[in-house]
Amino acid sequence: MTKPSSYLTALSRSGAGTAALLYLVLFVAYASVERSALSVSAFSDLINNASPLAIAAAGGTLIVLLRSFDLSVAGVISLVNVILASYPLEDATGAGISLCLALAIGALVGLVNGVLVAYGGFQSIAVTLATMIMTGGLALVILDAPGGSVAEWLSETLTDTLGPVPISGLVLLAVVIVWAVIRKTDFGVSLYAVGQDEHAAALSGIKVQRTRCLAFVIAGALYGLSGYMLSAQTATGNPTAGNSLLLLTFAAIALGGTSFRGGTGGLTGSIIGAASLMLLQKLLFSIGVQSFYIGLLQGVVMILAVSLMNVGEWFNVRKA
Amino acid sequence: MSSVQIKSPDSAQADAVNDAPPDTATADTRKSSRLSRETLNIAGVFLLCVLAMLAARWINPNAGGYQQLETILVLCSFLVVVAFGQGLVVLIGGLDLSIPSVITLGGILTAVWVGADGGIVKTCAVLAACAGVGVLNGLGIGIFKVPAFIMTLAMGIIVYSLCLGATGGSPNGVSPKALTWLMSGRTAGIPVIVIFTVIGAVIAYLVQSRTRFGIRLYAMGSNPTAARFAGLHTLRLTLMTYALCGLLAGVTGMLLVGYSNGATLRMGEPYLLPSVAAVVIGGSAISGGRGSFLGTLAGALLLTILDMIISSLGFSQGWRTVISGAIILFAILLQHEGAMDYLRSLKGRNSTT
Amino acid sequence: MKRALQFNASPLHKKMLAMLAGVIAPLVIGGVSMPAHAAPKDHYIVYLSLSYSGNAWQSEAANLVKALAKTPPYDKMVELREVISGTDVQAQISAYESIIAAGADGVVSFPVSPTALNRTVKRGCEKGTLFYMYDATVTEPCAYNVSYITAGFGENTAQALVNELHGKGKIFLSRGVPGNSVDKRHYDGAMSVFKKYPGIQIVAEYYGYWDDRTTQQETAKALAAHPDVEGIWAQAGENGALKALIAANHKLIPMTGENSNGFRLGLANPDFQAKGLRGVSSGSPPAAAGLAFKLLMEQLQGKRDMKVHNIEYALPWVPADKVKVCEGDKVTSECNVLAEGKVPDSFVTEVFDPVLLPEISLQSATDGTPTPGATIQPLPEDAARAAANEPGINCAKCDAPPGLYHLTKTKAFDAQ
Repeated sequence: MTKPSSYLTALSRSGAGTAALLYLVLFVAYASVERSALSVSAFSDLINNASPLAIAAAGGTLIVLLRSFDLSVAGVISLVNVILASYPLEDATGAGISLCLALAIGALVGLVNGVLVAYGGFQSIAVTLATMIMTGGLALVILDAPGGSVAEWLSETLTDTLGPVPISGLVLLAVVIVWAVIRKTDFGVSLYAVGQDEHAAALSGIKVQRTRCLAFVIAGALYGLSGYMLSAQTATGNPTAGNSLLLLTFAAIALGGTSFRGGTGGLTGSIIGAASLMLLQKLLFSIGVQSFYIGLLQGVVMILAVSLMNVGEWFNVRKA
Repeated sequence: MSSVQIKSPDSAQADAVNDAPPDTATADTRKSSRLSRETLNIAGVFLLCVLAMLAARWINPNAGGYQQLETILVLCSFLVVVAFGQGLVVLIGGLDLSIPSVITLGGILTAVWVGADGGIVKTCAVLAACAGVGVLNGLGIGIFKVPAFIMTLAMGIIVYSLCLGATGGSPNGVSPKALTWLMSGRTAGIPVIVIFTVIGAVIAYLVQSRTRFGIRLYAMGSNPTAARFAGLHTLRLTLMTYALCGLLAGVTGMLLVGYSNGATLRMGEPYLLPSVAAVVIGGSAISGGRGSFLGTLAGALLLTILDMIISSLGFSQGWRTVISGAIILFAILLQHEGAMDYLRSLKGRNSTT
Repeated sequence: MKRALQFNASPLHKKMLAMLAGVIAPLVIGGVSMPAHAAPKDHYIVYLSLSYSGNAWQSEAANLVKALAKTPPYDKMVELREVISGTDVQAQISAYESIIAAGADGVVSFPVSPTALNRTVKRGCEKGTLFYMYDATVTEPCAYNVSYITAGFGENTAQALVNELHGKGKIFLSRGVPGNSVDKRHYDGAMSVFKKYPGIQIVAEYYGYWDDRTTQQETAKALAAHPDVEGIWAQAGENGALKALIAANHKLIPMTGENSNGFRLGLANPDFQAKGLRGVSSGSPPAAAGLAFKLLMEQLQGKRDMKVHNIEYALPWVPADKVKVCEGDKVTSECNVLAEGKVPDSFVTEVFDPVLLPEISLQSATDGTPTPGATIQPLPEDAARAAANEPGINCAKCDAPPGLYHLTKTKAFDAQ
């Protein structure tokens, strides 16, 4: 096998490859309809809009890889958003502390989830449903109506561009790089092993419970980061900020090529999947699709995209 | 090697061929021990219901016991019907997120198309349409292997936007007289809907636990590969289950129309997460193969009672939400297998060693 | 050379410079602040941006705008495009960005958040797009808010309920959507009144989500727990609360709510009145959307100079004894509720306004079709009444006036 073709098969086999292809198709369609699409500000808007969902989807991917569910994404995002808007800390140092705070809150919720699911043996959908409700309620306690205001430095900088590159894009890139590193570690390998076959993984010495718990913690931290980015985008607090992201997160994960049966896929694909979802909205707007039917088309695209990925997977399996 | 002990129920892979059932002693013991755990869990949830009712009485002594019970039974009828459908889908290892939209579809079709005169034929057509959505779900999941989460989510979005587009945002129409009678009429002093729910619950229990269809669902949920080898037509079962779930969601929509003499586009929204919560609290495993309708019934009852009590507590909405989440968490923690085994062993040495 | 460069203005120089500056500056500022399309065009692109769209109120409001846009002469002048983005604020931000990029002249919108859209709205204003929000408001100063929200729905209806109960009694509070600023404003206003009367006891507080069915269910639950309730303060969805009372065979009690046709008919029903139903029908008028659109169009054509950004739409107020059923298809100054069967119970009645929106008929509200034979009438001079500053509602960095929750429609029953 020559290098390019084996590289291509690897690409087509990875979820990220098909996700990127989908995004490319959508972007070409969008750019052909909307003349201003290729400008720096338009592209930066796209990335800014997609970044909260993308990072949330990245976090969720870790859990889906383990064949579990994590519904607490909605609650963590709302909670972080509300805290950042109610207690804004100015300047770069303030933003740094706020970042640590956001990550810590997310990781804490993730730890609760992880302990109960991995060590307690409870079902992830049930536990995370309960933690989602509780964190959402906590957000309402802290801020009972939209208001507050996020630190200016934070909202100005994170929606700005560094030259032609949007800063939120840099954050996404950082997440991808960190993921690439993690993937090579023991934890990363264990993650995939446990997702594909838990019994076999356990028998080969992998600490299943620890892997699972750690996955929830990291996912929680990523949700915290997503709330951070959302706060920068909207510049204010909203106690129900995370609710609309719940189902979209899983849609993005599916579009990103991660299988819900666990063991295949990755963060990069989910990030691209999230970007595709947001781009689809803009594309439909530009084409002038009548508002009512935008939902229809979104649903159809989701089904088609995942079906095609499954068909592709089927072909790959047959070839192998 | 301390991690060999696999405790997460998420690990019960539905399609792993080497997923051997964890047998310890004889098959009999395993089966009876699982039954006991389930029964214990269901009993626990019913106990929580009773405790909750007593707590409500304590908080507000004015609350007339019978009146309150009646309201609870009427209001929980919606959730019971929906949760039964969701429970069947969960039994085969799936999930139905299109329920809110199908409820809306059923409600809107009933109010707008069937209307006040309403005939049996039209009503059946509406139910068929709702079941049809379920069939589409089943096709996507069974043939194209789209994950249930995504397939039903996408179908839900599609159905919702069709409803939105067709009604332009505000559906007109009134409830068929028969439905209004069902929801607000009384015979022998008992609301008709309560009788309906009780009969329906009995039928549901029988269907899930006693008919061949139900037992096949359990088999398919525990191990689809083995089920297929045993000759079960898994695709047909999948289609039937999702169709039934869609039909039940449509029925719920009709009940809601009868209750408030009209349909709105957000009719189904409040039933998605509670349907999953009721099923899970009732002891079903999301991975499939386990769970009884009695548990789901208990879960639905508990959620309705809790809702009533918490709103009468007078806390701010935020704290109310935190408390209801905490109670759901508590109900789930009760299902801890270790705790239940401990409780069972307290009762004396019975069938388990 | 250097000395010449030193700007050592003599007193005379300074005076002349000052005069010059005084003449040039206003021209410059005036030129900069006038929208790019100061000269009236003959074709305008206006976007109707909705967030949530699944109930009668929302679709009636949208229909009003659509009907007005199709009424001559606007039918030839205006291209109205509708965008529905749902409850996700990111989606509405994205929609606004696309609208601005498409070069819209104006946007009439129901914003999903009072604060999260500000940055995008500001960018749109800088590019010359006019933003008119109806009913819900934004705190961005360059946007225009047309809403009844500052008119005190909460406090006025609360006082009316207290008056009916003579300051003593157990009541329910049926609220809207948790975490929403409109709900909070109504609630805060109402509580400011209820707190003054220790005899008033709030025994249940629940969220009806501005939806008849949810309100009916929640009220039913509250009734089961507190059958001794004596009054209900409700936001939208109040007809559901009434239905819950009737379904539970409960005695009817004083109720205040918004303006669904079913509720108003209930207030007018002599049977119900005999059973004890009294109260006030107030609430949010979808007509505000029509007013917002007409103001936008007049501003775009240069016919109106908008000095204020926050416009108050008068609070509808129909006490039970003033409810009169209309014979025809239209609410006029003589009648204020449509006859039973003409419209569904959930129809929101306050879409008519004989002074501000004479072009609107029942058809326009239900279908979005223009009234045959109608032409756009100019708005009266005082159509744009200034609203009070309310931090968090229509302005961010501002102070609330003293006496924020003051009564305008009714007086305390025990006031001197």
